[in-house]
Amino acid sequence: MANNHLTSESKQLATWYLTFAAILFGAQLLFGLIAAIQYVMPGFLYGILDFSIARILHINALVVWMVFAMFGSVYWLLPDETGIETIGIKVGKLAYWVFVAAIVVVVLVFLLIQVGPASDTTIWFITEGREYIEAPRWADIGIVVVALTFVANLFLTGMKGKQTGIVTVLMADMIAFAGLYLAGMFFTDNISVDQYWWWWVIHLWVEATWEVFVGAIAAYGLITMIGAHRKVVEMWLWIEVAMLFGSGILGMGHHYFWIGTPEYWWEIGALFSALEPLPLVAMFVHVLYDWGKTQGAQNANGDETSVITNKPAFIWFVLNAFGNFLGAGVWGFFHTLPQINLYTHGTQFTSAHGHLAFFGAYATILVGMMYLAVQGKNGIKVMKNTKTSIWAVSMITGGVMGMTVALTIAGYVQVIVSRAQMGATWAAYFDGQSGVWFTQAMDWRLIMGVITFLGFLLLAKDLLTTGKNPVHER
Amino acid sequence: MANKSVWSDNRFWQRSATWVTGFAAILLIWLTFDTSAQISMGTDKDIQNKVTKRVPGPTVINYKITYERSPKRGLEVPIIGGNDGKGNSLFQEKEKFFGRDDWSEKEARAMLHLGKLGSQAKNCMDCHTLLGNGAYYAPDLTKSWLDPMWEDGTMQAIIGGTLGKELSKEEAMAEFLQHPELYPTHARQMPNLGITKKEAIGIVAFLKQMSSIDTNGFPRNFGKMKGAINGK
Amino acid sequence: MFEPFTDVVPSFFGWINQGPLTLTIFLHTVIILPMIFIYFQEKKRLENEE
Repeated sequence: MANNHLTSESKQLATWYLTFAAILFGAQLLFGLIAAIQYVMPGFLYGILDFSIARILHINALVVWMVFAMFGSVYWLLPDETGIETIGIKVGKLAYWVFVAAIVVVVLVFLLIQVGPASDTTIWFITEGREYIEAPRWADIGIVVVALTFVANLFLTGMKGKQTGIVTVLMADMIAFAGLYLAGMFFTDNISVDQYWWWWVIHLWVEATWEVFVGAIAAYGLITMIGAHRKVVEMWLWIEVAMLFGSGILGMGHHYFWIGTPEYWWEIGALFSALEPLPLVAMFVHVLYDWGKTQGAQNANGDETSVITNKPAFIWFVLNAFGNFLGAGVWGFFHTLPQINLYTHGTQFTSAHGHLAFFGAYATILVGMMYLAVQGKNGIKVMKNTKTSIWAVSMITGGVMGMTVALTIAGYVQVIVSRAQMGATWAAYFDGQSGVWFTQAMDWRLIMGVITFLGFLLLAKDLLTTGKNPVHER
Repeated sequence: MANKSVWSDNRFWQRSATWVTGFAAILLIWLTFDTSAQISMGTDKDIQNKVTKRVPGPTVINYKITYERSPKRGLEVPIIGGNDGKGNSLFQEKEKFFGRDDWSEKEARAMLHLGKLGSQAKNCMDCHTLLGNGAYYAPDLTKSWLDPMWEDGTMQAIIGGTLGKELSKEEAMAEFLQHPELYPTHARQMPNLGITKKEAIGIVAFLKQMSSIDTNGFPRNFGKMKGAINGK
Repeated sequence: MFEPFTDVVPSFFGWINQGPLTLTIFLHTVIILPMIFIYFQEKKRLENEE
């Protein structure tokens, strides 16, 4: 790596993690496109790469690229926060290669072998067949080992170096994140018990530990990019942790309405998860407020230049604040009450929420971290936008927003026809699917998906080339 | 200098965050114990003793299952072996499953086990929804055992007609699972997943048992309207 | 004064679920109330520091 400005090995490892994350991000979008085409043309790759396989790769690539980017982000910020080099970085680097190798093998098995006979061998070596965590059990064990290595790196470094509020939150959060994965590793004949624990992984990841992670990263970003005061930022962070975990942990009840679990979950799920958007509003206010405050203070001193030291990253961070609130908060609240969820559960409504929430809450901030890494690696003092970075962020955001709106509309007709009117039978399902609103929405979803993918290509180009661009201040 | 406010004190928020997180987690664990006891799978003895379980044991496949409104709970519940008129199961009326209605607990459990394994090994959940969770490319399977397409004999006629023999509901289902590509109902078709006959029987047992799970009235109004209405 | 139990299996949480909101108010309260205790403890600490 020529012209590498990184002196810290931890940051070096971070760039590896973020690079592989970006590659998987591309794979996620590619398989998403295949699945979107299959909604419009059901014969596309039928019997070769069926919808189920395209979708497994779509959602697993999503989860895995985010985990990679999250690990990368932590390795990136650790030296800045603790003031020391990450401890055990050699083992961390080894774990990285183990992780990459495991993911490549799992993807190849999903692509080439796809399904197996109904036996334990299939569960161990081909697929576990549980949405989002289909990875076979051998890979589960590998992932746990890698995650524990990462957590060990984080804890040893956090305990020896300066233990800031951000590092404290990350330490607590990441151990819960790794531990929760264990809840998704066993087999049971009882599908209610199966789904009960399955949600411990899925929900307590994306609606609790990942959200707190985002809070910590946003706090770090505000300090590095606009020079916000640590005291203010960390107070906000603690408030966010209290609100996120306070609402998110028992908010899990909104997944326990219809899976065989007792009726009392209606009440717990509805009223805790109804509060889940509140911390997301708080985060949004907090990011914009801190920006205005530091910029205002600088202007008052007669300095009219921008306080932002990394324009493209900051755009993605602000998008995160807004997208998290809109995608996870508003779109989630749409269908979180049981009286509504009875009809929307398992329709494209969920899918609309999933697309905007994963993008708004996680993809945005992690792409922001990629830009921060590009800045650090190239020794840039103030990083500016390029035409490509503006086009990339506009097309990706516009594309995802368009897909979300299309899927939401597809959800209307499913809820009204398939569910409320006809009661969710086989015929009801296809009646809903053949409605004009549904079929047109699927066309639009595909168009918007293509726009998102083109935006991704621009993003990849920008991340690879902007570091050498002479517009930045060095 | 005025007193410092507790509200702008980091330690106050840190301690509050720790308390809220820890206690919410403890409550969740407590609730998990309570719920786990309620959703543990029943046994054949429970059925003999007419005990209603949220998740009945595997021998429920020996009984007739329906999905009817319970006046007491105000929603539809699975009724096993006949309705007492008040929305409670009688556990009396049997129904033949692949020619028998006396499957032992051991046999039924083995079928269910194979079926549940099969549902994962074939990635059912990445096209269908089960208990409403999964992908949205194919119909929900929660109450598929009770679907009008099978209840009114539509599918039995299509599949039996092709094979030139008369099939019961469960036989037709097992046949469909083995060769879905031969019986297209819509442009979007289920692919052949290499399901064997034995696996297919297991999966049908799994589907029948799943239809007997008390899902608090999800899906609502299941099968109250039969056939297609949008002119097909 | 207590409502008859409607869910399938009686349980502690099912019993607290007496009518609209009783269960969720109970849970929210036990989570939030101790923060008052933390508040006064921290207030005392800040006063002592001054």
